[in-house]
Amino acid sequence: MTSNRWVFIILALLAGVGLGLAYGWVIDPVDFFDLTPDTLRADYKADYVLMTAEAYRVEQDPGLAARRLAIFGTQTPAVIAAEGLEHARANGFSDADVALMQELVTALQAWSGVQ
Amino acid sequence: MRRIPWEILLALLAGLGLGLVYSWVVSPPRIVDAEPVVLRADFKDQYRSAIAAAYNATGNLPRARARLSLLGDRDSIVALNAQAQRMLGSGEQFESADQVAALALALDDKPNSAPISTPTIEFTNNVEDLLTATSPPPPSDAPIVLTETPEIIEVEPTATVSVATPRPTRTLVPTLGAPFALTGQETLCDSNLPDGLLQVLVLNPNRRQLAGVEIVVTWDGGKEQFFTGLKPELGNGYADYIMAPDITYTIQLARGSDVALGIVAPGCQTSSGENFFGGIKLTFQQP
Repeated sequence: MTSNRWVFIILALLAGVGLGLAYGWVIDPVDFFDLTPDTLRADYKADYVLMTAEAYRVEQDPGLAARRLAIFGTQTPAVIAAEGLEHARANGFSDADVALMQELVTALQAWSGVQ
Repeated sequence: MRRIPWEILLALLAGLGLGLVYSWVVSPPRIVDAEPVVLRADFKDQYRSAIAAAYNATGNLPRARARLSLLGDRDSIVALNAQAQRMLGSGEQFESADQVAALALALDDKPNSAPISTPTIEFTNNVEDLLTATSPPPPSDAPIVLTETPEIIEVEPTATVSVATPRPTRTLVPTLGAPFALTGQETLCDSNLPDGLLQVLVLNPNRRQLAGVEIVVTWDGGKEQFFTGLKPELGNGYADYIMAPDITYTIQLARGSDVALGIVAPGCQTSSGENFFGGIKLTFQQP
């Protein structure tokens, strides 16, 4: 077999790899399911923080709020809530919702301090 | 005649296979912008619990409904009721399970109210969301790509926005220690019902039916437990038990209640003079 032929074989192999990657990453990527909450989009995370804040307003239990936020994994609840608050401020949440989230952040920061 | 370049075709196919294995198995796209519908079942349960807790605090049913729709349940009411049962079965706090059941009940009571969005949730279903975690948002002059899921338009904050999170009277949550009172005991002579049917209905102070309440039935030489909510089509707080004829039962709730003594299947007669055993209906309610 001539060296010219090997060049064509290698080029065909590389073209195949490229096609395979394009198909697998772009055209028909893997369908994901059974994901963890840390993969949620930022607005869903912020809404979850808002839910926690709404519940906290009535329950006044920072430990319970922290447990709810713990589903997001490695960060502290105060940081998770603060990120949600930041997203809310940047994306036009209502003043009432922002105030609720601010209250939660403050409570969790204080709660973290006494843990 | 030129022969087919088999070795080149084989190399192309081998490369294609390698590329697919790498992109589907070795290094699939990293997920950073997932939607709640793809969460694992236990995380969906926690999401529902948070929705229920928020609803319990705000009473904002449209918002709760919009949030539940994100989870992709075929029937949110069924999903909530089933979760409440699971929570009680696994020994979780009664208050949490009750919040979930209360949201199911509220949805059931007002099935036709239109859902509205939470303020910031935008629905997109774009593959690029999965692939470009840190890519900047598209420029404003980019062509609009219609996607499968509808976009929910964000409501601009106005003077009425504060209505979005009203502060209604808190839904009362029954306390664990409050004993239930036996508020009703009826004899039922209905030949359409099974013979000796004991029906138990458990209500909270607001006359809301309570699911997952353990009922203890004892008789001379025997004891059994059963739970409310296992027949949700008859009500979350409903449970039943078939009494044997000529046995006297004692009924009470495991959580603490008045004791219904001397419960026996009553003798009844149809209009044609045929004898059968009727049933008893007991109602327990938290004071």
